[in-house]
Amino acid sequence: MVDELLFFMEVVVGGLLAGTMYSLVALGFVLIFKASATFNFSQGAMVFFSVLAFCGFMQDFNIPFVLAFILAALLMVVVGLCTERLVLRPLMNASEDTVLMATIGLGYVLEGLAQAAWGVEVRRLDLGIGDFPVPWIADNLKLFISALDIFAGLVAALMIIGLFLLFKYTKIGLGLRAVADDAGAASSIGIPLKHIMLLVWSAAGVVALVAGCMWGARAGVQFALVDLALKALPVLIIGGFSSIPGAIVGGLIIGATEKVLEVYIGPFFGGAIEGWAPYVLAIFFLLYRPEGLFGEKIIRRV
Amino acid sequence: MSNSSANILDIKNIEVRYDDVILALHDVSLKVPKGKVVALLGANGAGKSTTLKAVSTMLASERGKVTNGSIEYDGNSINKQTPSQMVGLGMVQVLEGRRCFGHLTVEENIISGAYSRKLSKGDINQELEKIYTYFIRLKERRKSQAAFTSGGEQQMIAVARAMMAKPKMLLLDEPTMGLAPQLVAEIFNIVKELNTKEGVSILLAEQNTNVALKNSDYGYIIETGRVMLDGTAQSLLNDDKVKELYLGISKKGRKNFRDVLKEESLTKRSN
Repeated sequence: MVDELLFFMEVVVGGLLAGTMYSLVALGFVLIFKASATFNFSQGAMVFFSVLAFCGFMQDFNIPFVLAFILAALLMVVVGLCTERLVLRPLMNASEDTVLMATIGLGYVLEGLAQAAWGVEVRRLDLGIGDFPVPWIADNLKLFISALDIFAGLVAALMIIGLFLLFKYTKIGLGLRAVADDAGAASSIGIPLKHIMLLVWSAAGVVALVAGCMWGARAGVQFALVDLALKALPVLIIGGFSSIPGAIVGGLIIGATEKVLEVYIGPFFGGAIEGWAPYVLAIFFLLYRPEGLFGEKIIRRV
Repeated sequence: MSNSSANILDIKNIEVRYDDVILALHDVSLKVPKGKVVALLGANGAGKSTTLKAVSTMLASERGKVTNGSIEYDGNSINKQTPSQMVGLGMVQVLEGRRCFGHLTVEENIISGAYSRKLSKGDINQELEKIYTYFIRLKERRKSQAAFTSGGEQQMIAVARAMMAKPKMLLLDEPTMGLAPQLVAEIFNIVKELNTKEGVSILLAEQNTNVALKNSDYGYIIETGRVMLDGTAQSLLNDDKVKELYLGISKKGRKNFRDVLKEESLTKRSN
C-alpha cells in the first residue's frame, strides 16, 4: 500500500516537474498573445531553431557552453527583430487571422533555416545534469525523481519570477500591459508598438531557447521538438491564453495528469496516451470553461 | 512661419478615404489658434472623429488616408508621422469611448501617459501630484482597477493619462459621451482649467452642442464630411440655424444644413 502511494507520488511529482517545461513554452505563447492577440504557431519552430543553433555553436564551432548560450539568446533577439520588421510591421493593420497565418509561415521558415544551417541529424545536448534519480531524495523520501526534472523546475520558476518582475515593475512592462489591454489607446498616448513587439518576441525567443535546452537534454535535439512545443496549446486552453499564472498552472496540470493517465489508464489503450490525453482534457475545458482557469474575463461593470 | 505661429493647428481642405474607397471627409478646413479651445460639432457620422484621427495620424490603423489637402501642426506638415511621433511633438488624442487600460490601476493608467517622456521616478511622482490637483477624484481611487471605475472617472483617467505626456495640444473625441449632466459640467471645467492654467490648445469633437460651445472660443459645424458653418462660439450660440438644428429650438421640420440650403435656393429662385 505504502509502496503504491509512493509510486503515485513519484508519478505526480515527476509529472509536475516535467510540466514546468510546458509552462515555460506556454509562457512564450502568452507573451505574444498578450501583445498582439495572436496565437504564435511558430513558437515550436522557435524552440527547435534556438536549441539547434545553441548545439551548433557548441558542437560545430567549439564555442564554450556559456558563450554559446549567450550567442543563441542574442540570435533569438535578432530573430525577434527580423520578425517585427519583416512580418509584423507590414501586417500592422491586418486582421488577427492574417497575423496568425503569418506565424504559421514563419514557423516553416525557421524550421527550414535551422535545418539548412545545422543539418537534420539528432544532436545530443549535455547540460551537465544527468537524467537520473537524485540519490539523496531516493534514500530519504524513497522517491525516484530525476535531477533534470528538478533542474528544469527551478529554471522555469526563476524565469517566471523574472518575467513577473519585468512586467510589474518596469516601464516597458507597463507599456506591454497597456498594449495588451488596448493597443490603439496605447499608441494614442505614444507607446511605440514596435518596441513592445520587439521585446515580446525576443523574450519569447529566449524562453523558447531555455525550454528547448531542457527538452533537448532529455530527448535529443531533433525535429520532434516542434510538435512537443504544441503541447502548450492544451496548456493555454486550460490556463487561459492571456494569463501568466494560467500558463504556469496549466503546464503543471497537463504535466501531472498526462503522467498519471499514462501510468494508470494508458495500459487499457495500449499505452502512449500522453501524446493525446492533454488534448482530450483541453476539449473538456473548451466545452465547460472556454476562458480557461485564469483567462482574463472581459471585465464588465454592472 | 510667422503667419502660422498664431495657429497651432491649420487644416486645409482635407479629404479622407477609408480603404481607398469610402469618402469620409470631402473638404474640411479648420484652424486652432494657440491656447484656444475649438469645438468641432456635428451628428454621428459627420466626420468629427475622422478629422481628429487625421490630425493625430491614428487614421492609418483604421486603413484611412488623407488623400487631399494638408495639415500643419506647430509649423510642421503632417503626413508620414506615426502616432507616437505626434505624441513626441506634443499632440495627444483622447480617443472616443475613453479606452482606459482596464486591467491596470488608475495610477498605472495615468503613469502610462508619460511613456514617451524620459522621466525619473521622482519626476513622475511630481507630475502625478500635479495631475491629481486637477483630478482630485482620481487620487482617491488611484489603486482601483480602471475597469471598475465609473464612466466619468474613466473619462478623467483618459484625459489625465493624455496630460502626462505634457501635450501642447489635446484632441478630445466626445469627452462627455454617455455622462450625466453634472459630470459633463465637471469634465468641461477640468478641460477649461487645463486650457487656461497649462496653456494647452484644445480641439474637441462633441455632439453636445450647447455645452461645447459655452466652453469653447470658436466652433465648426460639419455635416457629411464638409464644414457647413464656423464662427466664434458666441456667434454660433446666437445663430438661428444652429439654434434650430443643433440646440433643438426648432420652428420648422428642417433636419440639417443641406435642407436649409436647398430651401434657401428654392426661395431665391421663386423670387
